[in-house]
Amino acid sequence: MTIPFDLLLIQVINGIVTGMILALVASGLTLIFGIMDVVNFAHGELFMLGAYLGSTVFLTTGNFWLALGAAVMGIGLLGAVIQTTTLRPLLGRDPLTTILATFGLSLVLQNYALWQYGPVPRKINEPITGHFSLFYLEYPWYRLLVAVLSAAIIGGLWLFMKYGKYGIWIRATTQDRVMAAAMGIPVPLVHTVVFAIGAAMAAASGVLFGPLTGVNHAMGLDFILRAFIVVVVGGMGNLGGSILAAIFLSLLEAFASIWVSPAQAVIVSFVVLILTLLFRPTGLFVPTPK
Amino acid sequence: MTRSAAGYWIGFAVVLALLVVAPLVLPEFWRRFVTEILIWGLLAMSLDLLIGYTGMVSFGHSAFFGLGMYGAAAALLTVRPPNLWLAILYGLVGAGAVAVFVAYFSTRLRDIYFAITTLVFSQIFYVIIFTWTEVTGGENGLGFSQPAFAIPGVVSARFTPVTLHWFVLAVVTVSYLGLRRITQSPFGMVLQSIRENEPRTRAIGYHVERYKIVAVMLSGLFAGLAGVLYALQNKFAAPDFVFFLVSGEVVVFNVMGGMGTLVGPVAGAAFFFLLRELFSRFFTEYYLIPVGIIFTLMVIFVPQGLLGFLRRRLNQ
Amino acid sequence: MLSVQNVHTYYGKSHILHGVSIDVGPGEVVGLLGRNGVGKSTTLKTIMGLVRPSEGTITFEGRSVAGAAPYHLARLGIAYVPEDRRIFRLLTVLENLRTGLDRPGVPPERRDALLAKVYGSFPVLRERRNQAGGTLSGGEQQMLAIARAMMLEPKIILLDEPTEGLMPRMVAQIHEIIDVLHGDGVAILLVEQNVRLTLEVSSRVYFMEKGVVRHHAPAADLRRNDAVIHQYLGV
Repeated sequence: MTIPFDLLLIQVINGIVTGMILALVASGLTLIFGIMDVVNFAHGELFMLGAYLGSTVFLTTGNFWLALGAAVMGIGLLGAVIQTTTLRPLLGRDPLTTILATFGLSLVLQNYALWQYGPVPRKINEPITGHFSLFYLEYPWYRLLVAVLSAAIIGGLWLFMKYGKYGIWIRATTQDRVMAAAMGIPVPLVHTVVFAIGAAMAAASGVLFGPLTGVNHAMGLDFILRAFIVVVVGGMGNLGGSILAAIFLSLLEAFASIWVSPAQAVIVSFVVLILTLLFRPTGLFVPTPK
Repeated sequence: MTRSAAGYWIGFAVVLALLVVAPLVLPEFWRRFVTEILIWGLLAMSLDLLIGYTGMVSFGHSAFFGLGMYGAAAALLTVRPPNLWLAILYGLVGAGAVAVFVAYFSTRLRDIYFAITTLVFSQIFYVIIFTWTEVTGGENGLGFSQPAFAIPGVVSARFTPVTLHWFVLAVVTVSYLGLRRITQSPFGMVLQSIRENEPRTRAIGYHVERYKIVAVMLSGLFAGLAGVLYALQNKFAAPDFVFFLVSGEVVVFNVMGGMGTLVGPVAGAAFFFLLRELFSRFFTEYYLIPVGIIFTLMVIFVPQGLLGFLRRRLNQ
Repeated sequence: MLSVQNVHTYYGKSHILHGVSIDVGPGEVVGLLGRNGVGKSTTLKTIMGLVRPSEGTITFEGRSVAGAAPYHLARLGIAYVPEDRRIFRLLTVLENLRTGLDRPGVPPERRDALLAKVYGSFPVLRERRNQAGGTLSGGEQQMLAIARAMMLEPKIILLDEPTEGLMPRMVAQIHEIIDVLHGDGVAILLVEQNVRLTLEVSSRVYFMEKGVVRHHAPAADLRRNDAVIHQYLGV
């Protein structure tokens, strides 16, 4: 069986576009896990609420960029509130309790969205509507813009972590919470800020993703599972690994969906996850310590 | 028999008697409510064997429950006339087969990795069931008619709501006693020792993985049994019940009621459904908003659950 | 300046400190000696707020700090160099130093001066400033741990066994650094196994046994008469 080259190329582009959005969601998740051992089950809901907040601002102002900014600020703030009220009391307890608490939150947030916004999906319009010819397809420029913007946000995070004063604080706290505190780093504040950053990144991806499929209350459920898989495959807490894993898995799924429906293509990711856990439990892209 | 043991059996008899009488005195709605709590309670108890006794948080029990449902559906749709016992057998085989598969892979991992793996496994089965429309009915699921309660040569009678309740009660009671026996057996002691200190249990010479695999399989079988009962009561199997949110709710029952007590998770299920009834009056279908808040607060402030909390209060 | 009075500390259920009392004056170097497992490290951790004392008072410059958050104590001027050094292994040497340097209220000139000073004392750290902390040798990591503490411009440094596992040449360098810090007016509470070093740099020495301070004497007396040392350390 031969696969036409044009189809393959289209799927590569599709895979990279969804991979970048997924990377944006997953890097927040892995950042949060790396620094405070919190498995944030509510991350998909922050993604979804970001999309809703974006759509609300978009409906009133008609400005996509304003919507993106508002969602990032609003959900970042919500993240800070969630961290201080729900997760701070759990610090030092079994990481499993954080799954339970954030699972409870995700139920609340998801049903809140359903209650507030109703079951009918909402739409956010693309800020640019042009297309370009890609073989037999008219490919929207917006999709490429999404990939570029996601890459820019991730790049910004990387620069911040690498060179920023607070980036060094965050990395030091990730490595050794106790010693970081002994060096005068306000660890509780760092935790709150990291959670807020992770939430804001989820919100940004929600708004970017909004124009592609519309905004609905269940969109977080689908994404959180994929983000979990990405984070584990990339190595829990490993930022670079998550980004690679997001693109790798999205490409795999894009190829798989040449033959099967996208709903079934997800299984490819599941299988990669299980193989990773069995053979390289510290992550696909890092050597397993002996 | 010690006094506390006598007290336990008296309490057991009283609760059992109340549950036997319940369908005769309760109105239709509440009778059904109690039957459902028993079924969900069985599912919650099966999970407690892992969470409470072995220290493994499974987020994939919906797979076992769902396979129990679809196994029962397979028996009831393919074998004529529909046979109750065959439905149970098929359901247990379905759940058991999935449990062997899940147990083999997931027990090599611990803590959150175990939780995430079980979650992902249950989603694999969800996707298969959801998309394999020719066999599973896909999104719409499968409907079937209720089999009669029949013991060849002895009795054959159609279920009425009351007799179905009694049947469910009997199955759940026997399962409870079985699970209780398991947790108090030497095998159960090893599981609890794994929960307390896995490296030490290994060092003493126990083959920890083997114990974990058996624990997951047993847990899966009881969960599958709950699925069969649910299918019998509602006369359908649907992919919604394989979705991981169901697993999450079962974890919620355990946390609310008190892990590691077997009775606690049943109480947790009852508490959850009572809250749902209560809040549905004010919040309609958005009852999960207040219930989720209560659950999250309980994780933070009452991690030992209702039963653990009461026990501690009584001991003071 | 630092006063520890009758402090009790538990790890879970085991009672480690049974009423420890220690005083350190401004700019004073004080030694804390004792066999392994008598609670010397726990005393330092308790002062640093890493373990919460169940009883007793700790005051620093007149204010009560028992049970305060470690980062708060660091900002007040208490620095901590732990026994296992606890370098941030994936951070570069410079980034390790910046964890203490990037405090609010440090103007750029002072930052540069501080860095220059530390690089002057530890030239090897300047050479390796862009190397990951985890790749340094044990002695270099010890230098980095002390240098990192100096970035806080502390009034007192809690030094936990700085010479453990080091070659004699490195031990001499640690000795020099303690003298330099002393000359700058920084107080030091030094936990050591190296008795000679401790007696040379300290003005006073405390002896601990089974979670309490048993004895306390000026270092000068101990240098003349080592009977006490034999009694508490068995050397």
